[in-house]
Amino acid sequence: MFESQDEDELTPFDMSIQCIRSVYTNKIISSNRDLLAVVFYGTKKDKNSVNFKNIYVLQELDNPGVKRVQELDKFKGQEGKKYFEDQIGHGSDYSLSEVLWVCANLFSDVQFKMSHKRIMLFTNEDDPHGDDSAKASRARTKAGDLRDTGIFLDLMHLKKRGGFDTSLFYRDVIIAENEDIGIHFEESSKLEDLLRKVRAKETRKRVLSRLKLKLNKDVTLTVGIYNMVQKAYRPPPVRLYRETNEPVKTKTRTFNVNTGSLLLPSDTKRSQTYSHRQIVLEKEETEELKRFDEPGFILIGFKPLMMLKKHHYLRHSLFVYPEESLINGSSTLFSALLTKCLEKEVMAVCRYTPRRNSPPCFVALVPQEEELDDQKIQVAPPGFQLVFLPYADDKRKVPFTEKVMANPEQVDKMKAIVQKLRFKYRSDSFENPVLQQHFRNMEALALDLMEPEQAVDLTLPKTEVMDKRLGSLVDEFKELVYPPDYNPEGKVTKRKKDDESYGSKRPKVELSEEELKAHVSKGTLGKLTVPALKEACRMYGLKGGLKKQELLDVLTEHFQKA
Amino acid sequence: MARSWDKAAVVLCMDVGLAMSNSFPDEESPFELAKKVMTMFVQRQVFAENKDEVALVLFGTDGTENALAAGDQYQNITVHRHLMCPDFDLLEDIESKIQPGSQQADLLDALIVCMDLIQEETLGKKFEKRHIEVFTDLSSPFSRDQLDIIIHNLKKSGISLQFFLPFPIGKQGGTGDRGDGSLLSDHHGPSFPPKGITEQQKEGIQMVKKVMMSLEGEDGLEEIYSFSEALRQLCVFKKTERRSMPWSCQLTIGSNLSIKIVAYKSITQEKVKKCWTVVDARTLKKEAIQKETVYCLNDDDETEVSKEDTIQGFRYGSDIIPFSKVDEEQMKYKSEGKCFSVLGFCRSSQVHMKYFMGNQVLKVFAAKDDEAAAVALSSLIHALDELDMVAVVRYVYNEKTNPQVGVAFPLIKDAYECLVYIQLPFMEDLRQYMFPSLKNNRKCTPTEAQLSAVDALIDSMSLVQKDEEEGTIEDLFPTSKIPNPQFQRLFQVGSVNPAENFRVLVRQKKATFEEASHQLINHIEQFLDTNETLYFMKSMDCIKAFREEAIQFSEEQRFNNFLKALRDKVEVKQLNHFWEIVVHDGVTLITKDEAPGSSVTTEEAKKFLAPKENANADSAAAFEEGGDVDDLLELI
Repeated sequence: MFESQDEDELTPFDMSIQCIRSVYTNKIISSNRDLLAVVFYGTKKDKNSVNFKNIYVLQELDNPGVKRVQELDKFKGQEGKKYFEDQIGHGSDYSLSEVLWVCANLFSDVQFKMSHKRIMLFTNEDDPHGDDSAKASRARTKAGDLRDTGIFLDLMHLKKRGGFDTSLFYRDVIIAENEDIGIHFEESSKLEDLLRKVRAKETRKRVLSRLKLKLNKDVTLTVGIYNMVQKAYRPPPVRLYRETNEPVKTKTRTFNVNTGSLLLPSDTKRSQTYSHRQIVLEKEETEELKRFDEPGFILIGFKPLMMLKKHHYLRHSLFVYPEESLINGSSTLFSALLTKCLEKEVMAVCRYTPRRNSPPCFVALVPQEEELDDQKIQVAPPGFQLVFLPYADDKRKVPFTEKVMANPEQVDKMKAIVQKLRFKYRSDSFENPVLQQHFRNMEALALDLMEPEQAVDLTLPKTEVMDKRLGSLVDEFKELVYPPDYNPEGKVTKRKKDDESYGSKRPKVELSEEELKAHVSKGTLGKLTVPALKEACRMYGLKGGLKKQELLDVLTEHFQKA
Repeated sequence: MARSWDKAAVVLCMDVGLAMSNSFPDEESPFELAKKVMTMFVQRQVFAENKDEVALVLFGTDGTENALAAGDQYQNITVHRHLMCPDFDLLEDIESKIQPGSQQADLLDALIVCMDLIQEETLGKKFEKRHIEVFTDLSSPFSRDQLDIIIHNLKKSGISLQFFLPFPIGKQGGTGDRGDGSLLSDHHGPSFPPKGITEQQKEGIQMVKKVMMSLEGEDGLEEIYSFSEALRQLCVFKKTERRSMPWSCQLTIGSNLSIKIVAYKSITQEKVKKCWTVVDARTLKKEAIQKETVYCLNDDDETEVSKEDTIQGFRYGSDIIPFSKVDEEQMKYKSEGKCFSVLGFCRSSQVHMKYFMGNQVLKVFAAKDDEAAAVALSSLIHALDELDMVAVVRYVYNEKTNPQVGVAFPLIKDAYECLVYIQLPFMEDLRQYMFPSLKNNRKCTPTEAQLSAVDALIDSMSLVQKDEEEGTIEDLFPTSKIPNPQFQRLFQVGSVNPAENFRVLVRQKKATFEEASHQLINHIEQFLDTNETLYFMKSMDCIKAFREEAIQFSEEQRFNNFLKALRDKVEVKQLNHFWEIVVHDGVTLITKDEAPGSSVTTEEAKKFLAPKENANADSAAAFEEGGDVDDLLELI
């Protein structure tokens, strides 16, 4: 684990530590209630609750925090290797069944209920107990026990000279879950591969809802709805008591202003006012207002895939996968539907009611074929993308700019520019600079650093590189499209404004009383400009505010009185 | 939201002439249909609570009342209501005050009256839009001499027009934004020309087409609707479209190339804006209620601490880190102001739709009246289109908002071309879930028979019509042209669907018949207390539902008692109008013939609905003291 294969390659140990650190910091950002622990095995020293040899529990199961990240950092690189040797040291032997035992103990020490328990085994040894069949068989038995108690065991196997052969030992240990999923990872030789493998396992699938998909009156299957894209926000602030920095609880109560008495929910109703008329409903009724259908999908029909309009995007899509637990045979029917939709290049248009009290919307179920990358990691799962379709109300007519077509020469020049700035987009290419900076700040404060580390803003254009790549193309393009005196950075409106406000055009307004009176009686006062009206108000010493209507009102009132 | 820049003046111009009342048996007359469409429109306006003003002009009225009338000019045209905010009174007017006339009036004269009204009454007020909506069957003669002047004036003063006719006029698929498949009804209704129309009407259609073509070109034809179309899609009203604010910026590629652009929101989810305020159950006033938030320590006594004694902090994993607002402000990410900067270009297939996120679609055009910018942007749009590539850009709305990374792809239409911008996820927003494969899984592999069944299902449920000859595909179910039912619902007031709820309650035995009918009666009482026609119809639905279910569940006595009590109440409360509806719909006591448990004869039931003087004294006698809500309930 501590030997690198190539000169500049990370050692498998280093890679594992960095991977674990990244899991820690990701958990802090995405799901800070999850518990993590780190256990070394094959160590010289030992530290565990049952005093097994060669097993060192570095961190018990707990929320990831700053201190733990710092502790992991000590094991990084050459210095880390030294630190490890000094503090823990390499052992000569271990028993995998004991390792699993210690891990299981960590889980049972946690007092509250966990929805999900997982052990990830980072190793580049494909045959740990090759010469000791008793140990090997004990490990297999123990792994089976863990499975029965709902603890998942994953192999994060690292590159081994000559290849990591799972058939020697691990195939029998890790079977159960993977056979279901049908995913067999390749060994990881690069950190990013390992990270992806770990991330794929450590994120727990959470189903948003399980719903019925009605194909017609008689045929129904059940599906699960999943969120694959979800805006990550900065966590909300918590209020702390100034003296002790302990979190305080907040309570909201409703009371009657007149009597000061607290009001129960039943003492209130809900109201809206339209055109001076008040409409009052019970709270339950306002909920009911939103009720249309039973939750679920109702198939309306099919349309060719090409009719899906990219620019008719409404909100981020969801993912639909069969749910066998409620109706048997759902997966089979789903699979048939998916196969045929892919084959015929159609999407299913449905009416979708997500919850009991939510209004229905139209959605397109767009078939998606399973895709694996060269590491055999699934990059696109099989199922349907649930794409929301806008209602007529959601579309707005925009005042478009008149079409002025570029000529082929201009288009070609732009094509050259586009080609120069080609890159491969990956959905995980960009980190959110706002979130990153927030967590850097937190880290700095937690560690009492003087200055927080500045997060690299990946969303900023790399203008220098771009300019260099484009070279003279930009000037050539500008010459083709922009007139010589044209300034694309300047503001057109500014020039106009200058002309108007400082030019000689500004009229001196003077209106006779007769004229004003005539305007008032004819109701044509509104034809006058605001400066004229202001001037008129000033003449009669009227205070009229700034808005035209206010000026009009004041003047009308004045003359009607007179 | 009511914003002055988005205010509109709308004149509803309705033909009430003789022919509007003609209809085929069992069909509603154009007069009734037009009223329905107008009611829907005004309802929507009332609840939208914007500052739009609406006027109502009738033509074909027996009398004449308009500013232009003189001698024999502009006769039989009545300005029923001047421009003002729509309210419930207007709704009631449309419902009950507008009566069919016995005259005919020149449609074009009526248009001139409307134009005159708009111009006079919007003077000095700022209206973003002025608009006339004409409801007519086109059967009255008109004189063409002023047509060109009218068109000229409409154009000059920027007044837009929409026509609502009793029949579809058969229009070709349109262009531009609305042109993605024509309106639904066209394909079901008769194609051009509609059957059974007179020569006069044909002439009228030609005239209307000419007006709309001259005003808006081909698109203008899309502003001519049939009543049934309008009833189905309220959204046809031009007015209800929301306008987007322009966002001006520069599209930059590297540090030396920038193009002046302006962007508009083109799609964003419209939500019900108004929320429910909490009011005191007794006084129904919101002022009487106040909410307060208190902070307390996490100890046994829940000791309260004042807000001043608390500070802000954030969780960082297991740690909570005190972090004041001031510190946060100073240390947080700052975006350096608005921008629309290209980060690079990639193949369009790399930016999959499943990654789209955010809550809006922006359409990006070249800046207004800037030909150089238009050419530059056009080059980019066509370059991307021809290369099948897209731009990945950094978008910042202004210095106070967070930056986004998004995709900008080309959209080329007949009338315009633009880039479409949609936000893409950050690494933190992605969830990489894995799912078991469906392919190599024995448990869920479908059989050939299953596959061919699904194949047949897809073919039988196709929502498109292919025209092999022309090679076109027609969308038979254009979802993006259907209005959101949630908005429609808001425009009915009152309890949503008590009649249906009642049925469900008693059928599913979720409540006893007694409880359910109590609730229903309560609703009916409330409806009647409003003394409004809209609610009367709802009450009728409830009563009918009550009657049907009572027969089903042998609870006829309960219904009969209720109806008898209701009759007395109606008398006390002077709801004669409502009782007329009951009589008209023939909703009477449940008879022996209908339910064996009843003792009422058909004869008695008939008499029950007869005017009071002749009513059977016996049936009413028991309820002489009736007439109050509580009484009604006690009886059951």
